[in-house]
Amino acid sequence: MEIVLQITANGLMLGGLYAMISVGLTLIFGITRVINFAHGEFLMVGMYIVYLVTTQLGVHPYASVLLAVPALFVMGALTQKLVIERLRNSDEHVQIFATVGLSIALINLALLIFGADIANTPSSGLRHSVGVGTVGVLTGQLVIFFSSIVLVVVLHLLLTRTRPGRAIRATAQNRAAARLMGINVSRVYVLTFGLGAACVGVAATLVAPLYPASPTIGTYFVLIAFVVVVMGGLGSITGAFIAALVIGLVDAFAGYYLGSDLKEVAVFGIFLLVLIFRPSGLFGARRNLSHVSP
Amino acid sequence: MSTSTLSLPRNRDGWRAPVALAGVLAALFVLPVVIDDAFVYHIFITICIFAGLSTAWNIVGGYAGQLSLGHAAFYGIGAYVGMMLVNAGVTPWLGMFAGGGVAAVVAVAISYPCFRLHGPFFALASIAFLEVFRVLALHFSGVTGGATGMMVPLETGWMWMIFQDRLPSLIIAFGLMLLTLLVAWGLRQHRWGFYLVATRERESAARSAGIGTVKMRLLAVAISAALTAMLGTFHAMYLTFIEPGSVFSLTFSIQIAMFALIGGIGTVFGPLVGTILLVPVTELARGWLGAEAVGLHGFVYGSVLVIAVLFMPDGLMSVLSRFFGAGPAARDDDGAGATTSAPSRTQAQRAPIGDVVLQAEHLDKHFGGLHVTNDVSLTLRKGEVLGVIGPNGAGKTTVFNMLSGFLKPDSGRVSIRGADGHFHSPASPGDFARLQLGRTFQIVQPFAAMTVEENIMVGAFHRHPAVADARRSAREIAHRMGLARYLDDEARGLPIGGLKRLEIARVMAMEPRVLLLDEVMAGINRADLQEAIELVRAIRDSGVSIIAIEHVMQAIMSLSDRVIVINSGEVIAEGAPEDVVRQEAVIEAYLGKESVDAAAQ
Repeated sequence: MEIVLQITANGLMLGGLYAMISVGLTLIFGITRVINFAHGEFLMVGMYIVYLVTTQLGVHPYASVLLAVPALFVMGALTQKLVIERLRNSDEHVQIFATVGLSIALINLALLIFGADIANTPSSGLRHSVGVGTVGVLTGQLVIFFSSIVLVVVLHLLLTRTRPGRAIRATAQNRAAARLMGINVSRVYVLTFGLGAACVGVAATLVAPLYPASPTIGTYFVLIAFVVVVMGGLGSITGAFIAALVIGLVDAFAGYYLGSDLKEVAVFGIFLLVLIFRPSGLFGARRNLSHVSP
Repeated sequence: MSTSTLSLPRNRDGWRAPVALAGVLAALFVLPVVIDDAFVYHIFITICIFAGLSTAWNIVGGYAGQLSLGHAAFYGIGAYVGMMLVNAGVTPWLGMFAGGGVAAVVAVAISYPCFRLHGPFFALASIAFLEVFRVLALHFSGVTGGATGMMVPLETGWMWMIFQDRLPSLIIAFGLMLLTLLVAWGLRQHRWGFYLVATRERESAARSAGIGTVKMRLLAVAISAALTAMLGTFHAMYLTFIEPGSVFSLTFSIQIAMFALIGGIGTVFGPLVGTILLVPVTELARGWLGAEAVGLHGFVYGSVLVIAVLFMPDGLMSVLSRFFGAGPAARDDDGAGATTSAPSRTQAQRAPIGDVVLQAEHLDKHFGGLHVTNDVSLTLRKGEVLGVIGPNGAGKTTVFNMLSGFLKPDSGRVSIRGADGHFHSPASPGDFARLQLGRTFQIVQPFAAMTVEENIMVGAFHRHPAVADARRSAREIAHRMGLARYLDDEARGLPIGGLKRLEIARVMAMEPRVLLLDEVMAGINRADLQEAIELVRAIRDSGVSIIAIEHVMQAIMSLSDRVIVINSGEVIAEGAPEDVVRQEAVIEAYLGKESVDAAAQ
């Protein structure tokens, strides 16, 4: 029983982490309909920024959020402006390869600058265990979990209660109609991409003290993020949050009962089942089915 | 996909392209032999292997438009099956076929549930499968050797595909590449190649032309996976060592796809061109810079990919074909006579209206809470033109979709008389097509990246399975429909009037006995309208039975033998055109109650 509780706790913490990383991806997809294969590399860049700020300036890792978030926002906005925007009328495969190319370039750029070794951000006490009874989690994990809830709520409010948020949602629902209503669609896209990347900046700040940065760190997380985003229903932020918790739990339990080497089979197996049988996601309404033929 | 599907320009100056191709292929073999340097050999062997892999990928990723980023799974299956058999004392010459067979079966099994997924989602699913394979290969170390990998036994010679010299390896790699190119080229020339591209471009139009779209995609994936696995077996022998991380690798998958993309996705020789250009650059970069600058060549790789899609989204082949082909030459067979005779009235007298050929009984269809068609019944007789009118949203197109197998009615039945004289109740669009029912779509559905001739051929294959016959038939129909001068143009470039004609031409190429026309007159100008009416009349006179949904009253009145009026999913009137349009219910449905009252006063 204690073990089950501990695994559940681990799973939820992991879920919070996955949610943190996935909300940006689902936001970008939901609005611009572009799947950003370089999303994981955004996270990687963010983690290196946190690493550099923390080690060079000697500040608490969380302080680097002040640099990581704006930097990632600019990076996302530039990606949309310089690459995706120009490919808007191209075929899907062209867009996919553009972000895949960006991903390869960023991984190798990091390899070129930092080498293949891992870069440990000082943990500043965030790896201390806290808990009730025998069940314990790391302080940093707890922060991630609650931050992910805050992030989801803030994004939700931003999209529903503010003017730019409404413009973003209007554009997502109907590009042409939004343009007729005087919305600058291409600016909305740039803003959305920036916002999605900025979420990754937050994630990177919180993740870096717990996970060492490496050029390929993004690759693992991005695959999980895709799983979460598809499962939660494309573009649905709350859906992604719930899906992240589910995947976190699956990950933790499969890791314990199947062995850590097979847990990915469970995660990707579930992903494939969802793609095949519930392509609209577990919680999504039957919209956003543009990826399935009638 | 925005690529020309022309493999090589077909015009009279087209000799340059085949010569260039032969030259390039010869150079791939001759250069390393002449230079006789181990590193040069290695580069050329690598080019041959990757050109083969990329060409095989292109059958799925290009022809069929299913963007697989998991092709390393099939490569890995080939490598592992070959490696295990070699260690069990079986020659890789057999092992590669075993690997190819296993890969084809696996490919069909994993693609079947995924065939509905488009673009990025197919890509994601293929990545997920690849990851599962990698993890399983790592886990079942008893079979695969796990993370420590597998080695070839220390035996050399042709029997084991392992050599001290480089030349034999080059011979095998070159041979496998030629085989793959030959298969890819042959497939594109074959009816199946047309079917694949048509399916990629417009799935519903392909289905209405009687193409088994799922079957075609599975065929493509099986061929592609088998070839990929065979190359994998050889590559494993060449590398002498494999392990899950390097074999079931996402990076490797991306590389294969990237060569095809940069060369020209969907073209026969694009992947070859892309590989020839990129492999030496990266291998040299790896050799020269690799030691001091880890990641530089990968950075260059990624940047080249981004820049290539930004500035050359159609790939190198489109640039090259501009050089070699200089655009399609004017066709000499586009005689003025052919064009003007286009929709000429057939002199033959119209045959009398015959027996019932198509019957719909009590069709009911709900979309959620909406009752779209309510107890619709209709009959069509041989040689008859039945007009279907009704306001927008009345359910006319839904009826068409049920009459052609695209929708299954909740209740009711559609039966069509076959050539054997008996009635059949087909279930799918393909079955309807086989019973010689053809349809057009309200929103035209051209196969955009195919030429006009190829578009019509897709329909013509229905009656003429051989490519040459289908081409002849397609040209003949193009002449009749006034499309002759567009034959070599891609359909995407046609004006709307041309697209409408193409839509009809493709259906006519199927030589249908029953033709469903969905608003073919809408949106064409007044001058073309008379021509279009004459055209439909000529089709009718050739013995085809027609149901036409139409809003253009002039066309309905002059063409229809009978008219049915549908409103809110129900048939509200039926009869001779001039009678029907005077009925109160019909006027009310179109113009509202007040108009009826106004007319009565």
